[in-house]
Amino acid sequence: MRYSPALIDHFRNPRNAGLMPSPDATGESEYAGCGDLARFYLRVRAGRAADVRFQTYGCGPTIAAASAGSELATGRRVKELMGLDRDAVEEALGGLPPDRKHAADVVAAAIRAAARDWVSRHV
Amino acid sequence: MTRRVYLDHNASTPVHPEVIEAMLPYLGERYGNPSSIHAFGQEARDGLETARERIARFLRVGKDEIVFTSGGTESDNLAVKGVAAARGSGHIVTSRIEHHAVLRTCQTLERQGFAVTYLPVDEHGLVDPDDVRRAIRPDTILVTVMHANSEVGTIEPIEEIGRVVRERGIPFHVDGVQTFGKVPVDVEGSGIDLLSFSSHKIYGPKGVAGLYVRKGTKMAAIQHGGEHERRRRAGTENVPGIVGLGKAVEVRGREMTAEAARLTALRDRLTEGVRARVPEVRVNGHPARRLPGTANLGFRHVESESIVLGLDLKGVAVSAGSACTSGNVEPSHVLVAMGVPLDWAMGAVRCSLGRSTTAEDVDYVIECVEPIVRKLRAASPVAAV
Repeated sequence: MRYSPALIDHFRNPRNAGLMPSPDATGESEYAGCGDLARFYLRVRAGRAADVRFQTYGCGPTIAAASAGSELATGRRVKELMGLDRDAVEEALGGLPPDRKHAADVVAAAIRAAARDWVSRHV
Repeated sequence: MTRRVYLDHNASTPVHPEVIEAMLPYLGERYGNPSSIHAFGQEARDGLETARERIARFLRVGKDEIVFTSGGTESDNLAVKGVAAARGSGHIVTSRIEHHAVLRTCQTLERQGFAVTYLPVDEHGLVDPDDVRRAIRPDTILVTVMHANSEVGTIEPIEEIGRVVRERGIPFHVDGVQTFGKVPVDVEGSGIDLLSFSSHKIYGPKGVAGLYVRKGTKMAAIQHGGEHERRRRAGTENVPGIVGLGKAVEVRGREMTAEAARLTALRDRLTEGVRARVPEVRVNGHPARRLPGTANLGFRHVESESIVLGLDLKGVAVSAGSACTSGNVEPSHVLVAMGVPLDWAMGAVRCSLGRSTTAEDVDYVIECVEPIVRKLRAASPVAAV
């Protein structure tokens, strides 16, 4: 198989997929190369991402990366999420093939954008 | 164990057991070089020439008009570059939906000073013979149009195009890789001067194909060496492969008509089943003039590769209409030329059925597709459903 078991698991059973009504923050990122799009929603309690949900359009790895990213972000301090590194997302997926590295980029950027959105309005 | 369903026969097919059996002696004791005059060589030569005769009979052409090559891509290159090299300069007419083996060859010739007209197609992927007529110039040296498109299955009106081209006395090349052995090809009636055909699309081995070259057609060799293939293609022939191709053609001669009817019914069962269960699906390609086993389904607001991965995890092999390479997705040039809107073109999935496909397989695929697309749309920020 071209993809890791962790990636396949996230693709098959995406965690936290779907729209969040009235979120405290939203962030979006689009990968210009292929039009892959990720949008993240945060529910923030005491400065932490208490609930994270996402919507994504893209290839299998991007969908899996969004699921893994939502798990990574849940419970973390929003300020910390402003610096979320794409490598952390890729690591959570058990690696990405060289031609699918963009999956982690687009997801990490969308989470950072959501964190910035909250911080810009609350800090 | 997960059920395995292969619906990618336009990409490649499993080798028919009769073909394997026919090839085996040529991988074993009949290993001579067909150019050698001794008995070992002549045994190999016999296998080669028997295959050539079978193919010639199947196409109702002369035995000496068949040239063996290493694949459909080489056949297309030999036809287009070979005619161009024989003429030295001039203008070529082709369509925007050709296989890259023709398109990129034409683009290469453009860089070398040849002029090329890329004809548009209608929403079903059809080339208009009147467009061909209008595109022909006094310096046109070749018209090359595919018989059927591999992605959407649309069958081009090559008889009408052939009449237009023949009236003007211009060589007519047809890429028949997707139709050879699947639907009848009328070489004489369509005025075809060069016809590319392949082995592994019709249950033969990979690495072998052929080019029909009408006697008297001016075509230069594009690779040089020995005197093989009447000096039209240098290089020792792939004897086991060619024997396999010959056998595959013989089997197709027996099975083609009944198989085409069976696959058409299964293809329609698939498209109707998917459309009944999944909203916002379209069938790309001509509704009637289409390859028997080809169904190109466009799922709006879903990325085709994620459907391919979802189906792969269910044991189903199909192919994606959009190709993602290093993070760059290009919608299919065929769908773009047909004017398919981007939000549909990006979700195009090609299912191509074949000998082994059963009604149960088709029903299983229909069952698998619905939840995959539903889940992908549920998580999609662009889908309204």
